[in-house]
Amino acid sequence: MSLLNISNLSVRFGDRNAVPVVDGLDLKVDKGEVLAIVGESGSGKSVTMMALMGLVDSPGIVTADSLVFDGNDMLKLSNRQRRKVVGKDLAMIFQDPMTALNPSYTVGFQIEEVLRQHLGMSGKAARQRALELLKKVEIPAPESRLDAYPHQLSGGMSQRVAIAMAIAGEPKLLIADEPTTALDVTIQAQIMELLLNLQQEQNMALILITHDLAVVAETAQRVCVMYAGQAVEVGHVPQLFDVPGHPYSEALLAAIPEHSAGAERLATLPGIVPGRYDRPQGCLLSPRCPYVQDNCRTQRPGLDPKAHSLARCFYPLNQEVA
Amino acid sequence: MSVVLTARDLTRHYDVSTGLFKPKAVVRALNGVSFELESGKTLAVVGESGCGKSTLARALTLIEEPSSGSLQIAGQEVHGASKAERKQLRKDVQMVFQSPYASLNPRQKIGDQLGEPLLINTSLSKAERREKVQAMMQQVGLRPEHYQRYPHMFSGGQRQRIALARAMMLQPKVLVADEPTSALDVSIQAQVLNLFMDLQQEYQTAYVFISHNLAVVRHVADDVLVMYLGRPAEMGPKEDLYTRPLHPYTQALLSATPTLKPDPLKPKIKIVGELPNPLNPPSGCAFHKRCPYATQRCSDEIPEFRKVDTRQVACHYAEQFL
Repeated sequence: MSLLNISNLSVRFGDRNAVPVVDGLDLKVDKGEVLAIVGESGSGKSVTMMALMGLVDSPGIVTADSLVFDGNDMLKLSNRQRRKVVGKDLAMIFQDPMTALNPSYTVGFQIEEVLRQHLGMSGKAARQRALELLKKVEIPAPESRLDAYPHQLSGGMSQRVAIAMAIAGEPKLLIADEPTTALDVTIQAQIMELLLNLQQEQNMALILITHDLAVVAETAQRVCVMYAGQAVEVGHVPQLFDVPGHPYSEALLAAIPEHSAGAERLATLPGIVPGRYDRPQGCLLSPRCPYVQDNCRTQRPGLDPKAHSLARCFYPLNQEVA
Repeated sequence: MSVVLTARDLTRHYDVSTGLFKPKAVVRALNGVSFELESGKTLAVVGESGCGKSTLARALTLIEEPSSGSLQIAGQEVHGASKAERKQLRKDVQMVFQSPYASLNPRQKIGDQLGEPLLINTSLSKAERREKVQAMMQQVGLRPEHYQRYPHMFSGGQRQRIALARAMMLQPKVLVADEPTSALDVSIQAQVLNLFMDLQQEYQTAYVFISHNLAVVRHVADDVLVMYLGRPAEMGPKEDLYTRPLHPYTQALLSATPTLKPDPLKPKIKIVGELPNPLNPPSGCAFHKRCPYATQRCSDEIPEFRKVDTRQVACHYAEQFL
């Protein structure tokens, strides 16, 4: 049984007839697996994870056939029950480490808070454990950092503290929402390595939300490509990069400068992601897709389980290779 | 090809208050940068935050006066130029900023914003200005009806097109672009980069392209200047620098950049630690504390920025990497 099972998850803002921000998403994550969710801004990557954590506030409406994490139906839990799970078994780190930490409390206090709330630790034991956690995330001079305030830390260092807080409860699933977007490349490399080491050491599942396909290629085992709220392709990592099945995945890869090395111009997908007023009736990519056919404009394709990687397309690419 | 921009030993120091009654400290944000740029060519400046990229941009665009060194725009020395001459020079150097959300006036129509450079710097009539604006709008892929619209009605990619169009209105000799695509999604980034390349071909503008994304730089640049803590680390033709970096910092940057085709046999160069405090830079080579090859000499002696092979490198042991 998988650790996380999401089926037909939709998130709307406003009323039940509003355009869904996340539209019928199915996703499974196994224990100890690294799954990446990629997509452009507004594709629903972050909202999906917010829905899972129960962080979508009114007027947001979350509906799903199933939203089960580690045997808990996350939609049915009371707030009190959910707080027992979120932050302990299910933890999250955010994009901007500078705003994720509370500026008014020391780093040590904030890490100890997790230990007090979720593990019932207190006093010396909590402080000792907080120190161990800081060592684990490779913060130099951890003893002195316990009493530091967030503004005294650099971006990379703050992200390490955020990771220390997230792994304090030894989570089964860690969600990292663009964990390195705000950081420089050399620091990004350090943080990604740290995350993967922790993931293997603690055998936790990791969901990595990112827009950087190169990061995905280097870290994830499986990847889910999202476009305008839908998962358009789910596949294993080297395959999806070598032989993308969905035209959007192909276009996303082609738009990366590294991919068209030596070419004068970069391959582009014309136009922009449809907004709430110009959502096409058929396939959401149909106005921009270079391979569009008549039925693409009128019918919505589903995720075809027969395809080698699941692509939401009537005419998936590269089928002969598989 | 004519040289349009010459920088010699450009420096910019800032005095920083360290407290009441305490002596002022000096941050050497830019420390001895020299280069030449020909029309129609692109010099990319790369480095991590705090390396002096943006200070360089401000010095080149005459926003800030360099503390010392010489800067020539189209053969004319900037230092000591009169107010009238400076106004002329400013026409020749234009800038595109990182965030297209902050760089456009939200209360001014697009047509007026694009016409403003002409209004200030030329004696064209209203009708002539309108004609020029509309020609430029067409060139950057905006529709004529966009003339009357306000910035909030545009997406990020379109706004960056507008910002680029505004910078190109006076057909400058040099365009300084400070991280112009880092706020954009990959597919939009590809569109904007293509536009940059098209405009350069058409007008033979020289670009100073500042970026931290090495994949983007590889696509756009002719020459690359790598900076570290205000000093040039390595400068040379793009292909040489990418295929055989001579400075350990360039090597580390390239190795840390995630790639679509990770090679498991090629281990990443790990560099430890973070950027040193610019108020208190390390002795000798600024990089020696993080450098895997550092020796005693590196902590004693500041390496000279000297010619090695096809490029210039500031490393005592650059020859060994040839």
